[in-house]
Amino acid sequence: MEFPKILTRFENIPNSRALATYEKHGGYEAARKVLGQKPEEVIALVKDSGLRGRGGAGFPTGLKWSFVPKSADTVYLLCNNDEGEPGTFKDRYILELSPHMLIEGMIIAAHAIGAKKAYIYTRCEFYDEIRWMNEAIEEAYKAGYLGANLLGTKLHIDLDHYIGAGAYICGEETGLISSLEGKKGQPKLKPPFPAVSGYLGKPTIVNNTETLAAVPWIITHGAAAYKAMGTEKSPGTKLFCVSGPVKKPGVFERPLGYPLKKLIFEDAGGMIDGKQLKAVIPGGASAPVLLPAEIETLTLDYEAIAAAGSMLGSGAVMVIPHDQPMMELLRILVNFFHHESCGQCTPCREGTGWLANIVQGVEEKTALPEDIEKLYQIALHMEGRTICALSDAAAMPTKAITKKFADELKQTIYANSRLGG
Amino acid sequence: MADTVTFRLNDKNVTVPKGWTVMQAAKQEKVDIPHFCWHPGLSVAGVCRFCMVHVQGARKLEIACNLQATEGMVVRTDTPEVKEAHKWGLEFHLINHPLDCPVCDQAGECGLQDFYMEVGKYPSQMTRPKVLKPKAVDLGPRLILDTERCILCSRCVRFEEEVTKTNALGIFDRGDRAIIGTYGEEKIAHNYQENLVDICPVGAFTSKKFRFKQRVWFLQEKSTICPGCSTGCKIQVHARTDRRTYYRVKPQTDEAVNGFWMCDKGRDTITHLNRESRLPQAQMMIEGKKQTVPVPQALNSLQRAIAAAGAQHTALLVSAHYTVEEYQAFFDYFCTQLGVKTIYQWRGDKEDRDAFDGILWRGDENPNTAGLLASLSQIQGRKVEARNELVACVAQDPKVLIALCPEVPFTSTWFQGDLAKLEGISHVSLWTCRYEATEAAGITSWIPMKGFAEKTGHFLNYQGAKRELEEAFPSAAASALSVVEAVQQLALPQPSVTL
Repeated sequence: MEFPKILTRFENIPNSRALATYEKHGGYEAARKVLGQKPEEVIALVKDSGLRGRGGAGFPTGLKWSFVPKSADTVYLLCNNDEGEPGTFKDRYILELSPHMLIEGMIIAAHAIGAKKAYIYTRCEFYDEIRWMNEAIEEAYKAGYLGANLLGTKLHIDLDHYIGAGAYICGEETGLISSLEGKKGQPKLKPPFPAVSGYLGKPTIVNNTETLAAVPWIITHGAAAYKAMGTEKSPGTKLFCVSGPVKKPGVFERPLGYPLKKLIFEDAGGMIDGKQLKAVIPGGASAPVLLPAEIETLTLDYEAIAAAGSMLGSGAVMVIPHDQPMMELLRILVNFFHHESCGQCTPCREGTGWLANIVQGVEEKTALPEDIEKLYQIALHMEGRTICALSDAAAMPTKAITKKFADELKQTIYANSRLGG
Repeated sequence: MADTVTFRLNDKNVTVPKGWTVMQAAKQEKVDIPHFCWHPGLSVAGVCRFCMVHVQGARKLEIACNLQATEGMVVRTDTPEVKEAHKWGLEFHLINHPLDCPVCDQAGECGLQDFYMEVGKYPSQMTRPKVLKPKAVDLGPRLILDTERCILCSRCVRFEEEVTKTNALGIFDRGDRAIIGTYGEEKIAHNYQENLVDICPVGAFTSKKFRFKQRVWFLQEKSTICPGCSTGCKIQVHARTDRRTYYRVKPQTDEAVNGFWMCDKGRDTITHLNRESRLPQAQMMIEGKKQTVPVPQALNSLQRAIAAAGAQHTALLVSAHYTVEEYQAFFDYFCTQLGVKTIYQWRGDKEDRDAFDGILWRGDENPNTAGLLASLSQIQGRKVEARNELVACVAQDPKVLIALCPEVPFTSTWFQGDLAKLEGISHVSLWTCRYEATEAAGITSWIPMKGFAEKTGHFLNYQGAKRELEEAFPSAAASALSVVEAVQQLALPQPSVTL
């Protein structure tokens, strides 16, 4: 079956990262087209396309752009290329295929919001991607797509590439801003929102790499063509990262609303070695786990997954086989969030530590079966209580696992305890 | 009305200026919203997540400290959901807290403890080992930090950023490993260290001078004005009256003068009030020997000396450490009634006086300079400012000199040094609260005075703002007098004691 290719249209094209290749396939035509238009027209088009933020929250992109105050003199555009959500490897794939697609998207976005300075914030672990991105930026400057009087206009857009130190919290948009400002990567209190007061206190728009990379296609093909794909409320395509013991793990570009089971069992080839499906995490580590029964007819769009009690998130589909002990999964998850909590807000700082501490008790054979309910209660009261969503990100999967696999977890504790001998 | 908003806070309509937060409004309305990280003198951090309130129509609870009040908003601080959030908020704060209240100086005035008594009183659900962190960290000449007790509210970090602008503190590491500290081996060196102890809502920052000295519930508190400099910060003096001992000074809020803070130098202005530093009785030089005498006897001898020398040969040497009321009584008696015409004011060096550290401390280390000048302006006579020129001035012949000694150590020592340079005066009567002053040479009689915390009255600060020494403790020196009382005794028709 053929699927629309927007973000992956450079798959299987030799030398796809080169500017020449990009130009040959219509590269920078969208930017050229847009720079003659008024920013409001560009925002209206993106709004009309229904494009939603691909970083996890799914906020309408055009609407976000329109929040920048008209009177602002200095506006910043930041590309969140920090991709830290466990299970997610889609943004780096875009950079692997075509970094120019991101640059072009950023030129368009910068023009739409009136930014003269844009930054890409990439985590330091992406060694190759950093290099490819830097090369592309250099090429774009040389070819006159960036800098003063770009593309023969009076516009001036500068693009810088900033390398973060790899903290998960710096992928949170205000944490990213703090980090870019040279401070400790800690999320900022909202309000004020970044669109009003962000980087260096100026209006700032932070967009995910995948979001920005989709923009040139939308400009070229129009809002209607984009809306023709996906569902009514979740239009367009999305990159899904399938990981776990499946035959063909990888990145798949599919229209939103695509059936999850089909993605796992047809596109990714199903389970390896006769393993059975035990559970699926549909949107990255912070998304609540779903049982096979819950995904029977589940489609991959923001609304359907939310209705099923989880979230589309970053589109990281993690497949969990029947032989995966859930205590092990829980331990990995809570340890991750404990390690990554910035420590600002008390419920998250103490809560993530407490969760990890209790799970540690299982290994030390001191845990009690009632600890499972305690984990659930702690997670319940960590949720919705903090500045950013990291606390929720730790709480949601903990709640789901301790609820859905309570019996198994208790058995693990019993078998592991001095009680069970 | 465009500049105010009206919203509903629990069962009451509240009108506040536009831009105010719900927290500010609640403070004004005396509605208690528990909080740790919010402080009226610092920026909003919103990290303790304790001041949760319910806003009608909101998806989840909001923090009152960062919630701007808007017209028609309906806020409740007492819903079951809010109470549940408080209970869990406290639990999160306490799981890694050492709970060493029995040995903690903050006990009795601790946010965690108070709040536990209010909403807690349940056994902790924490059954695992706690996170261990550095304890008794030396952070400066006046500061000790216990990072285990710390709840990372960041008040101290913001104080360093926003008030002293020294940025000495930071939060290092992250998650539940995060600790407050200075960069490298640096120590906090500024003159405002103990404010960190004040604003710390728990016992993380303790004062080297106060720690382990006294349980706070044994202390009595009185509102007064700091005598350390002409800023005149509003302060509270904490003492044990049963022991006649002063233990510490804390700032009180006076928006127009000191805001919420005071300097460390000001905190040292109480030690001279304790019994061991005090001049308990009058003293006189009798036949070349210093002897303790009853106050009336010393005053009587002064009176006779003035009578013998005559008002034209009597001079006053006045420091700016006494209240407006005391100056009025003093000048009224000596100048108006007795006719003394020569008044020396001693106010320290001119070149130092205009110094200002940009926060609170001023180089004019006299609390009532403006009050002294105002009182002086109402009397006739020769008024000389005498510091460097003191000897030359006084050499013009007074036979009797009545000197009002400054009371705080750093100025009085200086004053006494100047006094010692004077020779040829037949009777010098030094009015002072300090025992140390009896060491000074050339003095004929010493009259024991009350300290600033032991009397009421007013100071005028450098702005001319009139501030009240509101309450008085009993004096640690039994026979100490205020200037008003001393003058009243002098003015009695006949001295009550004669030799």
